[in-house]
Amino acid sequence: MNHYTCFVRLNKHNLLLHLYTRKTLWGAKVTRQQALGGKSLQVLEKIRQNLEKLNEKMEIMIELQKRDRKDSQLLPDAPLDVMTLLSMPDHLRKTAMTVCRLGRATANEVAEQTHRARAVESSYLNQLVIMGHLKKERVGRKAYFYVEKESQG
Amino acid sequence: MIFLGKIMAVHSYKGGTGKTLVSVNLAASFAKHNKKVCLMDLDFRAPSLATFFRSEKVEYWLNDYLNGTCKIDRVLIDLRHRINGGGELFVGLSNPSTEAMREMSAKDRKWEMRALGRLLALRNSLINDKGFDYLIFDTSPGLQYSSINAIVAADLVIVATTFDRSDVEGTKRMLHELYDLFEKKTGIVVNKVLYDVSSKSGRTDLQNKMKEMYQVPVISIIPCFCDVSRAEGASIFTQEKPEHPFAKIVDEMADRIETNDLM
Repeated sequence: MNHYTCFVRLNKHNLLLHLYTRKTLWGAKVTRQQALGGKSLQVLEKIRQNLEKLNEKMEIMIELQKRDRKDSQLLPDAPLDVMTLLSMPDHLRKTAMTVCRLGRATANEVAEQTHRARAVESSYLNQLVIMGHLKKERVGRKAYFYVEKESQG
Repeated sequence: MIFLGKIMAVHSYKGGTGKTLVSVNLAASFAKHNKKVCLMDLDFRAPSLATFFRSEKVEYWLNDYLNGTCKIDRVLIDLRHRINGGGELFVGLSNPSTEAMREMSAKDRKWEMRALGRLLALRNSLINDKGFDYLIFDTSPGLQYSSINAIVAADLVIVATTFDRSDVEGTKRMLHELYDLFEKKTGIVVNKVLYDVSSKSGRTDLQNKMKEMYQVPVISIIPCFCDVSRAEGASIFTQEKPEHPFAKIVDEMADRIETNDLM
């Protein structure tokens, strides 16, 4: 692991810890001031959503760094055809094929099919997005992954 | 009981191993036993089902469906009248004209990716919505895009092979370097067997030998029948001669697939 990766991972850890602490404190406040519970919960939810987005951005940064890319641009669209699937490492092929089969899926739905952890699938799915094989769309709290829309019959 | 799957791709390493013979007769056998079956010709470089079924005035081909210019309903041809039994048989034909073959061989990766999406969509449109029991893809041999698309879309890959040495070696390679990578259930059909398989024990010995050699289940062993060759692919053999040993073997094959009883 090089300095850059260490920096990213440490910062990710600190940020998560910081926000978690804030979340816990805010949570305690909710218990004390139940009259304001609704509003506090909304704020907590917002923090949780931001945390998830930050987490995904960190994963993308780590992945781009692994690929020696300084910019934050994703790789251009790369068709997820069968020959590409054949040349993929086994762990990514399994994820990619599950998305092909489901059409459009969350990391959770993919994990249910592959019997691997959701966090693992989330990481693989984001790698496939970075590689240009999958698209990602956020609908409310959920992130959906799919093969380029025009390819779906 | 877990069924092996509703979508089957009949594939092989080499040409001339009997893919079309197996596809057509297996589809007919399912239909004979009250199943609703769809047989599709995905061999776009050398289409054969259009000739086999002598279909005239075909309005839409599978080529059109994969090009996205029509829905799958427009492609399917009802062949119920050619089946003895209570089931239904539909076919989707690929265009045998030279121009269509040339066009299909010039397709790029993006097109092939869209074609895979359209093949995957058949599970919903035909099996879930229209109540088909089985979809059978007759593919082209080797590593063709259309064949690999069919394999990816299928639940079960039926590999037709012979005792030809290069075919055996090629089939072994494909089992490990193609079907395994896509985690496909695979079964072998050994065709044109010249050994004496008339006795049950002889057939079982051969099946065990084949299973050991390929390390996958053997769905069937088909002896080299001169009658089948003589029929010249002019009719659905098992429909014409339901009492012929070949028809019995195909019925056994269909039964084995349906009951998930692969050896």
